[in-house]
Amino acid sequence: MTDPTASTGSLLLRVDDLHVEIAGRDRTVHALDGVSLDLAPGEALGIVGESGCGKTMTALSVLGLLPGGGRITGGSIDFGGTDLATAVEPVLRGVRGNSIGMVFQDPLTSLNPTMTIGAQVAEPLLLHKGLGKAEAWQRAEEMLRLVGLPTPGERLKNYPHQLSGGMRQRVAIAMALICEPQLLIADEPTTALDVTTQAQILELIDDLRSRLGMALILVTHDLGVIARRVDRVAVMYAGKTVERAGVRTLFAAPRHRYTQALFAALPERAADESQPLATIPGLPPSLVTRPAGCRFAPRCGFATGECRETEPALSEVVPPLPAASRNGDSAPAPGPRTAPHGPATGDTPEGRAGAARRGAHAFACFHPVDPAVDPIAEVVPAAPAAPPSRADETLLALTDVTKDYPLHSNPFALRGRSAAAVVSAVAGVSLTVRRGETFGIVGESGCGKSTLGRLVVGMEEPTRGTVRFADRDIAALDRRALRAHRREVQLMFQDSYASMDPRMRVGAILREPLVIQGIGDRAGQNARIAGLLDDVGLPRGAVDRYPHEFSGGQRQRLGLARALALSPSLVVADEPVSALDVSVQAQILNLMRDLQREKGLAYLFISHDLAVVRHLADTVGVMYLGKLVETGPAASVFDAPLHPYTRGLLDTAEQPDPAAEAAGAPLGGETPSAAHPPSGCRFRTRCPAAQEICARIEPAPAEPAAPGHRVACHFPLVAAAGR
Amino acid sequence: MTATAAGAPAADETAVPTPSLARRTLAVFTRNKLALAGAVVLVALSAFCFLGPLFHPTDQVHTDLGQANLAPGSPGHPLGTTDLGYDMLGRLMTGGRTSLEVGLAAGLLATFIGTVYGSVAGYFGGWLDAAMMRITDAALAIPALFLLVVVAAIVTPSKPVLILIIASVAWLSPARLIRGEALALRSRDYIHAMRLMGGGGARAVFRHIVPNAIGTVVVNATFQIADAILYVAYLSFLGLSIPPPAADWGSMLSAGITYTQVGYWWLIFPPGIAIVLVVAAFNFIGDGLRDAFDVRLQKSGGNR
Amino acid sequence: MIRFLIKRTAQAAVVLLLVSVIVFVLLHQLPGGPARAILGPKATPQAVEHFNHQQGYDRSLPLQYVQYLGRLLTGDLGESYKLNQTVSSLLSDRLPKTLVLTGLAIALAAVLAIPLGILQAVRRGRAADYLLTGLAFLAYATPVFFLGLVLILVFSQRLQLFPAEAPQADTVGGILGDLPGLVLPVVTMALGVIAAFSRYMRSAVLDNLGEEYVRTARAKGQSSARIMARHVLRNALIPLATLLGLYLPTLFSGALVVESMFNYPGMGLLFWNAAQGSDFPVLLGVTLVVGVATVIGSLITDIAYAVLDPRIRSVS
Repeated sequence: MTDPTASTGSLLLRVDDLHVEIAGRDRTVHALDGVSLDLAPGEALGIVGESGCGKTMTALSVLGLLPGGGRITGGSIDFGGTDLATAVEPVLRGVRGNSIGMVFQDPLTSLNPTMTIGAQVAEPLLLHKGLGKAEAWQRAEEMLRLVGLPTPGERLKNYPHQLSGGMRQRVAIAMALICEPQLLIADEPTTALDVTTQAQILELIDDLRSRLGMALILVTHDLGVIARRVDRVAVMYAGKTVERAGVRTLFAAPRHRYTQALFAALPERAADESQPLATIPGLPPSLVTRPAGCRFAPRCGFATGECRETEPALSEVVPPLPAASRNGDSAPAPGPRTAPHGPATGDTPEGRAGAARRGAHAFACFHPVDPAVDPIAEVVPAAPAAPPSRADETLLALTDVTKDYPLHSNPFALRGRSAAAVVSAVAGVSLTVRRGETFGIVGESGCGKSTLGRLVVGMEEPTRGTVRFADRDIAALDRRALRAHRREVQLMFQDSYASMDPRMRVGAILREPLVIQGIGDRAGQNARIAGLLDDVGLPRGAVDRYPHEFSGGQRQRLGLARALALSPSLVVADEPVSALDVSVQAQILNLMRDLQREKGLAYLFISHDLAVVRHLADTVGVMYLGKLVETGPAASVFDAPLHPYTRGLLDTAEQPDPAAEAAGAPLGGETPSAAHPPSGCRFRTRCPAAQEICARIEPAPAEPAAPGHRVACHFPLVAAAGR
Repeated sequence: MTATAAGAPAADETAVPTPSLARRTLAVFTRNKLALAGAVVLVALSAFCFLGPLFHPTDQVHTDLGQANLAPGSPGHPLGTTDLGYDMLGRLMTGGRTSLEVGLAAGLLATFIGTVYGSVAGYFGGWLDAAMMRITDAALAIPALFLLVVVAAIVTPSKPVLILIIASVAWLSPARLIRGEALALRSRDYIHAMRLMGGGGARAVFRHIVPNAIGTVVVNATFQIADAILYVAYLSFLGLSIPPPAADWGSMLSAGITYTQVGYWWLIFPPGIAIVLVVAAFNFIGDGLRDAFDVRLQKSGGNR
Repeated sequence: MIRFLIKRTAQAAVVLLLVSVIVFVLLHQLPGGPARAILGPKATPQAVEHFNHQQGYDRSLPLQYVQYLGRLLTGDLGESYKLNQTVSSLLSDRLPKTLVLTGLAIALAAVLAIPLGILQAVRRGRAADYLLTGLAFLAYATPVFFLGLVLILVFSQRLQLFPAEAPQADTVGGILGDLPGLVLPVVTMALGVIAAFSRYMRSAVLDNLGEEYVRTARAKGQSSARIMARHVLRNALIPLATLLGLYLPTLFSGALVVESMFNYPGMGLLFWNAAQGSDFPVLLGVTLVVGVATVIGSLITDIAYAVLDPRIRSVS
């Protein structure tokens, strides 16, 4: 990691007060409304912000790849002396793929499905370097080897669908880098990938950057991704750059109130697990109108009249001496009040030395965070009075639950043959959930965690094993008893929108469970619906609206309200916050926790996000390829994991802390197919501690460290943890 | 900064409730100029066929060979007369009635049969679905016109028979379409959600699947009517329609074909153009409806 | 791929069997039963009874069906009492001619529809797009016979450019030798297909242009024209094979009308004449053969699709 203030020399890229409009059918969206950033050769810049803030649009404008109806209406994009904002198409074509490469979010859809890998990777060479086909393919093979694709020679003739997600993203990177560009723009390059794959890809980008000496713009919503991978960060909100600083400075002492709120909403940063998360109320503003004043003012707890009337400019402060900042706790922080009415960068003399200017911490806020104050403690709400009361009564007990899916549903296949070909989605999982507790299930995609959730709610029937709820075997229930049992267990869907009939108003959606179960008369139901809306913090007027009129976070509130309509004792929540922005995610997590305390609910909380699970769960289960490899109290599992997979997951997860050491060895390789799981321990193919016994004998769960902390491993990390 | 009600569109409690989906569908439909034009043409043509004879009464039963093949503009015959001396304008009206009545009835009947058949196959799935769909595959493999001709050659058509014949062939494609729709809707999360509340199959079909498939059904019905009108015309053209003196636009064209050599264009263009107009009108309406149903379900931009 | 082929072929076999069932059922719906229909209206009751017994029409229906199927498999489709020829010999003479006509129409449609569809997609929302869209709607709504009549009136009567009668040669070669005579029938048949295919191409190209891989190609520095040629076209054209398969029944229906209008000596004309003369063996024989041809045709297009699309091809 290079020190930003030490880098010298001229700039590679300078975006100045960029404005972009996207004309729609009946309205124009001001997607970018004053974006300024710059980048030195070889430097890495992170652009962060929540969805819709314009970060992707910024990346696309640099390459002139704006979507239909989009155009640059102001500002400049200076790249090596050329203004890309006004450049004509042929000039832009010469830059794209040649001196600037780009990697997109979804590696499947961003590759052409009917073209071979070789043809796609070699394409930029044919375009820009005038190579012949044979030579280009040879270079493509070298490039694929460089990005870590095994047997690149054979892969050249493959099609994208034949590769895994991680491999596809490697191909996309190879494609972007084959002309050895000076700048790589990566737009959410790991968002569609699993945690372990994400780490591998980020590591690869890091490594290639230093090897090829190129600059990097990493666009992401994930503060964890950015923390250890870039030199400087630009924070965007509602189409504007609101704060710009070196990565360590920004993470240690954010100045803009929006950045502060973003950090405070991170579950990783929560002071302790019992504390609610800080949230940002409301929604980002619509980009159709251009409100006066600070765009964040309506959601900001520190806003004054000035904020609502005058737009603060992005101005820099000279970074105070480290000593001064430590001692000067009583003095007000130097705010960017020098020229609040001027254009964002207008007050910077052009001739000023790049290094000094770029090292500065710039932000657009009238009431910035005092650098001497802990930015998170300042905004986190006080912990609630009573801790949750948990009974020791077992609510749900799974015993050796197994779910196999036939691989091909072919009616012509012989029964004997088809029985052999199955996908082992869940393989012998046993766990118990107590009344009122939160049991978190973590694992990567395809580990069977969602199937487990569906088995618990009764959407699927286990192939083997039993699901007991309140001491009754669900499989043994008759129709009427099963119908009554439905009240007890409800599911909260990942995509609440898809889980609500689009033709029904919210009132009808919330009434449906009550009607089905024959609860109350119409007036009683109305009262219940109103109560549910109050519970989840939605206005009662919502009953007359349709699901599509709500935002993602509001829909998730509706989903929770419907799940609670029957007063269940267990709610299975399958990735309930994975589609939400971090500030909205915090709202939903707080809400779930509050309702649990109020109603004594138990949650089976399924997520791929370790930080979220850690924040919410009392007990945690880690799944790998259909197996529950480790369970135990959240604190023990996260602080002293026993299974090498859990250890690997924790080491791999990106911490939103630039100072964090790259701990241990991140997990390599990829999850094998559940149709052909490895013999013995399913994790052995990726396990650093695997021995010959692991392939032969499946490890039985044991409690080698502490009672209640179970692990299924021949070589649990007990010694390492105790030493 | 604590968890508060997220202020957003729905927080605006003073606003009037969102208009019903049907009303918004209508609003989108009427914004589509082509669809609106289709509706206007259709109303005009219906008025012409059903109300026209009140203003221009003619004898469409008895031939009058003395008045045969008069050119347009002849006294009392603004569009001329046919080879058998029928007034062309009047015949266009009666012929249109047959075409419209049979087309409408056959198209709606076909849509109804197809919808029931398709939703049963799609909702129950499995072997039943496979068997039911192979039957439609087989019936669809034989080109509709061939099937229609064979059936029309076996029975002597009258209006009700013609409706049944056409519907018996035309139900196949809506069956396939609705089956796909039912199959897709069956695995939607909101059906799962409803089942997890303890709801049963009847509720799934009638409260969720049918209302959500209704758009497809309605749109398809308009295309079915257009097709049925064309089938009537084809059958008549091939000489297999309701026997004279009854007429429809197809048989009028068929009669006119003999006189193309001598250039009696007025025997051909009026019925031909009428068919084109009415079929195009139904297609435009269907297209407009499809857009309207599509727009209705579009997500509004949220903050996800 | 192998799995797909086996499954698809098995499906086609089942459908073929069901087609024969449908035709068999129709045979029993004939006025006076199969005997009257096959022997003709003038046959004596004794002849009918004798025929029924001899042909097994007095046995149970399932048994009759098995016999019927057995005859079909040996190529026995019955005999035309009007033309005094076996139906199979009639068909072997007529079917190739119909295939030539439909083949030419498909070729003409493909040559015109693909560029037109691309043009519409590229010029979306402009005058050319609206014009072509309007024309396509018009073409959809125009019955084939009305279109044929208009073409005859204009190009044959008025302009005297092309004959109103199709080539009457006995052989396929002879028919292909008379190109002017083929113009009007082929154009008449092709127009509806052009409308359908160009509509498909328009939406397929637009869909593909919205795909992210197009953005990737742009990010590499490709020009719009080459993105269209190298990336989009291939993806848009592959499903056209399936569309063609779905369109076969419509094409054969069109052939029926066009052949009877232009007196083209193919299967459609044979069928039409049989319908006029209540020649039921020919009617049902042609119906069966057309059904079989459609099933096989769509099987071939589905296989072609699977071969062309690497996503299906490489999945074992």
